[in-house]
Amino acid sequence: MKLTFALASGLAASLFAAQAIAAVSIGAPAPDFTLTDSNGNAQTLSHYKGRTVVLEWNNPGCPFVHKHYESGNIPHQQANATSAGVVWLTINSGAAGKQGNVDGRGANEFIAQYHASPTAYLLDGDGKVGHLYGAKTTPHLFVVDASGTLRYMGGIDSIASADKDDLSKATQYVPQVLADLKAGKSPSVTTSQPYGCGVKYGP
Amino acid sequence: MSEPLAITLVSARTTLTAGQPAMLGLRLQHAAGWHTYWVNPGDSGLPTRVNWTLPHGFKTGEIAWPTPQRFTVDGLANFGYEGDVLLPVLLDVPADARPGSSVRVRASVKWLACHEECVPGAATLAIDLRVGSATAMSEPDAAFARARSTAPENGVWSSVARIVGDRIEVEVRGADLGDGERLDAFAEQPKLIANAPPQFSLRGGVPVLAFAKSEYFEAQPKALDLVVARPHARAIRVHAVFVAADLARPAPASPN
Repeated sequence: MKLTFALASGLAASLFAAQAIAAVSIGAPAPDFTLTDSNGNAQTLSHYKGRTVVLEWNNPGCPFVHKHYESGNIPHQQANATSAGVVWLTINSGAAGKQGNVDGRGANEFIAQYHASPTAYLLDGDGKVGHLYGAKTTPHLFVVDASGTLRYMGGIDSIASADKDDLSKATQYVPQVLADLKAGKSPSVTTSQPYGCGVKYGP
Repeated sequence: MSEPLAITLVSARTTLTAGQPAMLGLRLQHAAGWHTYWVNPGDSGLPTRVNWTLPHGFKTGEIAWPTPQRFTVDGLANFGYEGDVLLPVLLDVPADARPGSSVRVRASVKWLACHEECVPGAATLAIDLRVGSATAMSEPDAAFARARSTAPENGVWSSVARIVGDRIEVEVRGADLGDGERLDAFAEQPKLIANAPPQFSLRGGVPVLAFAKSEYFEAQPKALDLVVARPHARAIRVHAVFVAADLARPAPASPN
């Protein structure tokens, strides 16, 4: 009994440790990364220093992603953000063989299908950057300010559902955070519970 | 693919009695490998939600959520149900419900069913119930009795929570949590604790559950509501009121 108990607490302790490493936090520097985008170009977060960056976790097969793309919600937010000089990086951390995993061509077809306009669509098939940011759901959103500080992490909006009907009643957090940052203010909402499909990480 | 979930609206008794609360339930029958979600779904997912359309004077309560199970998919923690499960809901029957009359109760239900991939679902369900006399009360359905006997138990234990660094510690005084082996705990409120199982210890004989703080934690609420699942006994419901970490510091850990 004693031995089992000791092992159990050891496991719990290592879970805490994993949590501490994986988590990013509001007000702290957003960890840097480099990923290849759907057109084969390297994309490095720190190269965008001086501009606000939105990170959006994506899985083209997930019904929650459908909700926000078919309705035009995310494409609309991307168009508004990028036309205002914000960098929007869509990231896919789905492992090979799992739902929503795409190659560059698949990603570009997805972008074209929904008239989406991210700055780039990044491929993270080994889940390295997803784990680095603790991305849990699709969608899952992060906003990094011009100095490289994380200012928002969480859900796309305030109503957790797979229903397009809820969009008109929901507060869209990313446009709100971007407007606050543009006005030189601290974002009024800095975290929210992300909702959606689980990110389809590999083993 | 067959449907991931079959859902039906059921009643504990075939007849209602005016002025007496009745139990309705959503019976969820999951296809093998599929699950739906608890009130706090965990790292991803969505809770099952229901909107009622009721005859005049009737009222429903919240879902009396059964003890959830933990599902770990691709390293993410989810809380919910698999197999055949009943979500009970209390129905208030007005005192002036006319014996002999028939009432129709409608439930509009939305859920998310996942195995690894997820499929949202929605259904509008209805059940017709007859208002009878108190003497002609029918036998309750066995599934409701089972749900009641396995539901998380409210008890006489008292509990406080403290924020200690990046952890939240919950002291549960008066509850039998055994030696802590194979305990699990689920928070009703999201954004407070990380979704990993708790670390168990005894501090001066008092069971303490320690959780990593959620990375989405923002502000200390008044209380944390937990369902603590015990391997060999019914789960318990724990309402832990937050107290300042430096007040009433617990006794140092006992040497055993």
